[in-house]
Amino acid sequence: MNKDIIRTSSRKGLLFGIVLIFLVLINFHIMASTMISKLLGTNVLRGAFPEVRFMIIFLVIYGLWAGWSAVSRENKTTTKLLEGLISGITTGIVIVLFGLILFFLLETQTDVRRYLTALSFVSINIFLLGLRGAGVPVLFGLFTLTGLLGGALAIGLRSKTVSNFKHSIKAFVSNVRQSITSALPEFVTKYGKYMIYLVLLALLLLLPSRWGSYNNFVFGMVGLYVILGIGLNIMLGLSGQFMIGIAALFAMGAYSVALLNSPFPHGLMWGFWPSLVVGVVMAVIGGLLLGLPIMRLRGDYLGIVTLGFGEIIRILLNSDLLTDLTGGPRGIQNIQQPTFLGRPFNDVSYAYLIIVAMAVSIFLYYRLEKSRTGRAWLSIKEDTLVARATGVDVQKYKLLALCIGAAFAGLAGGIFAARNQFTGPNDHTLMVSINVLSVVIVGGLNSIPGIILGSFALRGLPELLRELETYRLLVFGALLVFMMLVRPDGLWPSSRPNLEEKGSSDLKEDIDPDLEGRGND
Amino acid sequence: MLKVTDLNVYYGAIHALKGISFDLQEGEIVTLIGANGAGKSTLLNTVSGILHAKEGTVEYLGENISNEAPQVIVQKGIVQVPEGRKIFAKMTVMENLEMGAYTVTDRQQIQDKREAMFDRFPVLRTRSKQLGGTLSGGEQQMLAMARALMANPKLLLLDEPSMGLAPVLVEQIFDIIQDINQQGTSVLLVEQNAHMALSIADRAYVLETGHIVLEGDASVVMNDPMVISAYLGG
Repeated sequence: MNKDIIRTSSRKGLLFGIVLIFLVLINFHIMASTMISKLLGTNVLRGAFPEVRFMIIFLVIYGLWAGWSAVSRENKTTTKLLEGLISGITTGIVIVLFGLILFFLLETQTDVRRYLTALSFVSINIFLLGLRGAGVPVLFGLFTLTGLLGGALAIGLRSKTVSNFKHSIKAFVSNVRQSITSALPEFVTKYGKYMIYLVLLALLLLLPSRWGSYNNFVFGMVGLYVILGIGLNIMLGLSGQFMIGIAALFAMGAYSVALLNSPFPHGLMWGFWPSLVVGVVMAVIGGLLLGLPIMRLRGDYLGIVTLGFGEIIRILLNSDLLTDLTGGPRGIQNIQQPTFLGRPFNDVSYAYLIIVAMAVSIFLYYRLEKSRTGRAWLSIKEDTLVARATGVDVQKYKLLALCIGAAFAGLAGGIFAARNQFTGPNDHTLMVSINVLSVVIVGGLNSIPGIILGSFALRGLPELLRELETYRLLVFGALLVFMMLVRPDGLWPSSRPNLEEKGSSDLKEDIDPDLEGRGND
Repeated sequence: MLKVTDLNVYYGAIHALKGISFDLQEGEIVTLIGANGAGKSTLLNTVSGILHAKEGTVEYLGENISNEAPQVIVQKGIVQVPEGRKIFAKMTVMENLEMGAYTVTDRQQIQDKREAMFDRFPVLRTRSKQLGGTLSGGEQQMLAMARALMANPKLLLLDEPSMGLAPVLVEQIFDIIQDINQQGTSVLLVEQNAHMALSIADRAYVLETGHIVLEGDASVVMNDPMVISAYLGG
């Protein structure tokens, strides 16, 4: 029993130690201390390193976490403390070993930045608390102590009294909510949902002209990703086609608008509105051309081919050969700005344009989802063979999904290019496709609120928290893993799966497990 | 009504059906029995257009349908209930039924048809808002059959409706099949449960590794010594 405790909690500690090593190797401890110092209101000069004490806060929190997570639910209080302590000590030992290596590097002035770019002497020095060799035992002490404290904290916060307290709070809140609902006049409870929509709509109409061009830029980005997400969702969520190359379709829209509205390379000036239509049509044609050869592919294979398609388009755009045609690696500059009723566009008009485009996309999406076509897509996604057997023309509808999804992507691309007044191959990398995929998956497949939430979480927040930029991929990965564990259906899942809960689970009994019906073989 | 002549079907290099010929008259229940891998499901999939024959023809009401797409064949009135029930688990019972009537575009007709199905399978009415996947095995089989009937079939292709069901449910399902047949739908029934199949069928064909080895009236086939020893556990 005791051995078991030692094994499991030291394993936890080991994990935390190793993760911390990786975090230090990518300079995350500096990042964390910068963030903490900002939270505490200390102004850090851009580019300057924050003080050691902020990193200590980070390490203490990390150590507490390590101790906390090692504590199991069932055991006695003393055992819990022991678990926290063991976890802390293990983390400490790992960090001591790592610290000794760092100290050695520091002493011999070995520069390892050729292999580990982030591991500079300054970074090492800060991790060793500025104490050089003496920092190693201090770190050990810190993790042992915080591990123990974390264990103690877990006892305090996971005990029965606390959970009882939580329950009573929950009951209280729901009571209050109920009494409020019953106290409110009927029209509020009945139309409350619509009133919230109205408020949101009013905000959407008022905010763009009030909150400055930077916020408009971020908002526009979120909006464009919502449109892209809807497009991808039609392919992935409704018809079940694993599409990764949506950046290529996005590029078709963007390049159509760019090439028809810039002095170089063609000198065409068609104006924004007709070229946006061309962009959408081009994207649809792209979807069709992509769709025809891949109709027989499914699942991962489809993913690989579409990914390849996306890269082919980007590489073509990037090639010197096609410079005369597409502007080559330098992209297309000075895209002519649209006018609306004779007035030129500014950031506010783009925000409104994107709101309108978003609204149209959402409306079309809902109409499609509820239509016969939507039903056919859903059946294809669920079981292609049966869909075929019930009379659905599978090929036609799969192609249709690709084309309609592509139209949305083209729309987003066209607006994107005009708004940036520039587009180039780097706007259409694989990362764009992956971002859109993440938006849809993280937000919730087949759920418009989910897609909006997802694109805000994945596109809006990183823009607002610029400091995290370097760690975006790390955060992305962590977020995706976290989502799979905690909310596998997305942040705001579609309501369809909830239907399942209404059906009772005791209905399965008359399926015969031994397949008795075929006993005569 | 259905006339299959010298059918040869391949999966890549595998020769699954080796020159099958059989026919089905209007109003009949014809059963195809045989062990795993005999080619029963392949045959059904070929008739319904999901697979296409390399040689041979499928004639339906005097018309060659060998190369038609499945959705065309459904429209002509041949509807398949696939093996293993295969209902749409993430759709409600109602939506499953509406999917069945996919080739029907008249709303009123769909509604009437749905009501008729609820009358025939009352349990589906009580479950109409539930997801298909939450139904029990027997209910799923009923839903699969109801879904097929939604398309107004003249010929129903049933692929192992007894699969994985308890004996009492199997009997219930076979009663329903007989009932459907009496109301004017011809049935082509593929089964491993030879005893049940032969008891309701008019005529039977025995399939073995892609060949038809025996054919005749169901009562005759039932008393064939080979069939008794191989399929009826005699």
